[in-house]
Amino acid sequence: MDCNRFTVGVATLALIVGGSGAALPHAKDKPWGSGIPPDKVADYVHAILEADRTIYTKHVVDRMQQKGIVAAAEHWEQDNALPLPAQFLQHSGRLVAEQGRGIRYRLISATPIYQRNAPATDFERKALETLRSKADGPVTGIVSSGKRQYFQAIYPDRAVSAACVACHNSHPLSPKRDFKLNDVMGGMAITIPIE
Amino acid sequence: MTQPDGRPRGTRWGLQTKLILSMLFVGVVPLVVGLGMAFWQGSQEIRDVSGESFKALATEAARKLDLLVGEEVARNSRIVNDETVVRALERRRDALHASGAPSAAALAELERRWRAQEPAVVKSITETPLSALLRDYYTGTHSESAQLLPQVVRTATKMLFLTDTQGVLVAAMTTKPDFLNHDARWWQGAYNKAVGQLYVEDVHFDPRADTYVFTISLPVMDSLRYEVVGVLHRVIDAKEFFSPYTHVIRFGKTGHVMLIDSRGVVMSCPILPTGVSLSDLSLVPLITPFQPGWVQASSDGHGGHQTSVIGFAPLPETSRATNGSPDSGSWHTFVWQSSDELFAPIQHLFTWMVVFGTVAVALLASLGYVAATRIVTPVRQLQQAARSIGRGDLRSAIRIQTGDELEDLADEFNRMNQQLEAAFAGLTSQVQLKTEEVQYLQQSTDQILDTVPTPILLMDPQEQVTYANRAARETFAIAAPGNLREPLFSLLPVDPATQHVLREELLARDAAALDEREAGSARDPLAPAGERSVPGRRGELQMAGRCYQYQWFRLPGRSPDQDRIGLVLRDTTDESRLQDQVIQAEKSRSLGVLAAGIGHELNNPLFGIMGLGEAIQEEQNLERIKTYAQDIISQGRRMARIIRDFTGVASRESCDQRVPVHLEEEVDKALATLRTTADLPNLTVEKHYVGGLRVLALPDQLRQAISNLLTNAVQAMNGSGRLTLRTTQGGNVAMLSIGDSGPGIAKQHLSKVFDPFFTTKGQGEGSGLGLTIARRILRKFGGDVRIESLEGQGTTCVVTLPLLPPDQEKEPWTATASPSASQPSHSS
Repeated sequence: MDCNRFTVGVATLALIVGGSGAALPHAKDKPWGSGIPPDKVADYVHAILEADRTIYTKHVVDRMQQKGIVAAAEHWEQDNALPLPAQFLQHSGRLVAEQGRGIRYRLISATPIYQRNAPATDFERKALETLRSKADGPVTGIVSSGKRQYFQAIYPDRAVSAACVACHNSHPLSPKRDFKLNDVMGGMAITIPIE
Repeated sequence: MTQPDGRPRGTRWGLQTKLILSMLFVGVVPLVVGLGMAFWQGSQEIRDVSGESFKALATEAARKLDLLVGEEVARNSRIVNDETVVRALERRRDALHASGAPSAAALAELERRWRAQEPAVVKSITETPLSALLRDYYTGTHSESAQLLPQVVRTATKMLFLTDTQGVLVAAMTTKPDFLNHDARWWQGAYNKAVGQLYVEDVHFDPRADTYVFTISLPVMDSLRYEVVGVLHRVIDAKEFFSPYTHVIRFGKTGHVMLIDSRGVVMSCPILPTGVSLSDLSLVPLITPFQPGWVQASSDGHGGHQTSVIGFAPLPETSRATNGSPDSGSWHTFVWQSSDELFAPIQHLFTWMVVFGTVAVALLASLGYVAATRIVTPVRQLQQAARSIGRGDLRSAIRIQTGDELEDLADEFNRMNQQLEAAFAGLTSQVQLKTEEVQYLQQSTDQILDTVPTPILLMDPQEQVTYANRAARETFAIAAPGNLREPLFSLLPVDPATQHVLREELLARDAAALDEREAGSARDPLAPAGERSVPGRRGELQMAGRCYQYQWFRLPGRSPDQDRIGLVLRDTTDESRLQDQVIQAEKSRSLGVLAAGIGHELNNPLFGIMGLGEAIQEEQNLERIKTYAQDIISQGRRMARIIRDFTGVASRESCDQRVPVHLEEEVDKALATLRTTADLPNLTVEKHYVGGLRVLALPDQLRQAISNLLTNAVQAMNGSGRLTLRTTQGGNVAMLSIGDSGPGIAKQHLSKVFDPFFTTKGQGEGSGLGLTIARRILRKFGGDVRIESLEGQGTTCVVTLPLLPPDQEKEPWTATASPSASQPSHSS
């Protein structure tokens, strides 16, 4: 619950930052009107998400596991364990989405353990391919669903902890099992609707 | 056979019974304990093993069912990921967005028409390309061959339809679905604020499907997977869907797998109908944790209340989606088998163990009987032998050949018997020998007693005379020498007064004996008891004109009751007569001597008087005559004094009462008398008197005794020499020693000087009775006399007499009827 509350806080902060950016009276010529450009918003949000997840990974999961107090596990609800860092991010993304502010983020991978985390669109697929070779910045673009348009930024997501590598290399459903620390395992897709 | 502890024979258990019971006990107790422990341990093992097996089975079944549901979800996922579906719903979303949401009234109208199954409305929903697509997915047209919808799933699917973002029915295969679903829980759950999530609904009764169903609702995401554009809803008959998988897992007669949800509602069970709750809802928390496990519960959930072993496991993936989250519900498998069946093997085993146990007990009993018989038979032989030995009639040796301790024991018995026989033989001869000795002793004693002239009687405490020696038999005219048993006083012819006295003495003797026994003092059995305990009870009694001295003595028996009392009677008739004669003779002799002495004493003055008388006759001179007359008078006075002295002796002789006398005075008087009777010019007398010694005696007899001793001493010195008289006082005894300077007495004569008629003087010079009489008199007064002499150095005669206590002389003198003083004398 604390984690959830913590995540809610982070997400709220991110949205405030994003929201306030969108409200700025600037650049009328751009599709997103005046305010902070969505790539900047995505950067801000990504920075916060990265920081939060890193803190969770290093100072909660790794520490608890090293001290033998509690481990992180995929079925954390049943096993009385901590959510995996990836799950932490996915669940916080769901919470953010459920708040209905518009901004959404999720983790995607070309080699996902669950197909639901596979790239949904060609843009995402190509972005992941790009990031695999050149992982120094996000791949951004405008995508549409029906008549709706969204700004999407795909950030490279690296294996920040040994736990990430170990899990993906050993999970029975994992299609790729040769990850190393700091490898780009996939991407974080941040989607912001363009009204 | 004796009963050592006096228990009734009924409760007595023989050695054989005890041995059999011991063996049974030793056998049965471990058997029962072992059986019990085996049963308990077996039950535990079976429970544990069954529990683990059930747990494994439940886990496996859960995994299978999880996969089954997962597959179903995946199948539906294909529909929701179908581009046609996504695009169609995106368009509908965009259209709704552009035209604005239809009003509630318009929707209600449409619903009414849908319910009324107006062909136009029905067609607009069931005849659309989307519905066709759904039908294709349902029939499997769109599936690859490996992914064909199984027949079971197809028939189990009761409804399959799509809604838009408003919950309005978009496409359906049949007309059963509701038109408006916005308020349905499943729709809210799957739409999830446009985020979308898998929503698996718990089993419930669906009136449209007319059965218990569960539903799977999947959101249709837009092409970006950004938001929900519709919801796919599948209603599945739970029993039909799950039973092919749960019902096939059967083991034994009752063992089966069932699927329940977190409320305890049965989703699929070969026994219970779908939709009902478990019979015991208290089981639910036990069996619905998120981990697989097994539990021993007090009921089985199927209506039974026996202790049951239940395995359980959650469906992990499905539970994650049930009602939107694991917290809202979960599905679990439940594996159970009836306890009767579960524990049947151990019951069976127990039955067999009981049977084997019974057989073992029977075997134990029979083997125990055989063993006990083998042990007990020789023991009984030994018992018989011991009894025979006890009776002394064991003739033949015991024969036991068991080759163990019993055989050794039998050998020991034989050896003991031989030794006993030998010992008995020795004892018998010894007893015979001793009996002969006793008989000889008895005969000797009888003979000795018979030769004793004194009558001796032995009687028991009841005064029954049991023995009389020959003298007694003759005296009392007892005929039978053998088995004598007569009352004492029927034998003794005494008057009643004497009888009374004797009986009292007898009683006093008994009491004294009793006291002595009670005092517990050791007593020399040879010492005559009566002599010590009742001293001086030597009485005299008159019987048939004769005088007897009698004395009691006690013969201690083996017990106080068997004590015997002896009575010795001594006929003193002749003795006392003789003694009186001797004393009389001595008196006469003394009188003669006295008379001679008196004559001699009187002759001189008499001749003087006669001469003076003649001189007076012839004398003229008056003066001279007066002088002569004066001499005559003085001579007459002398004679008168002499006569007075002797008359004084005579006057007291008749007196028979003992009076206190001064010993030293009596000695002086005796010496004076001696001097008057004999001319003793050369006799020197030395007196060493302590003074004031008083004794109780008859003065004349005492003086006579002393006179005899003095005469003896003077005669021993032939009238010339030194006579030493010495008195001393020692304790309560007065002592007088009379020493002479005579030649002494030869050693061989020393022991005989007190014998009557023993004398060393010539014929006619002495009677030989002087010392005898002196001693007799002195002993009569409780004293004694002894002679100490060394040949050539004179003789000393020592007289001892009991001293009169100083206080006694002040009391009025009471004469006693002399209790005959027979003090023990140690002088010869």
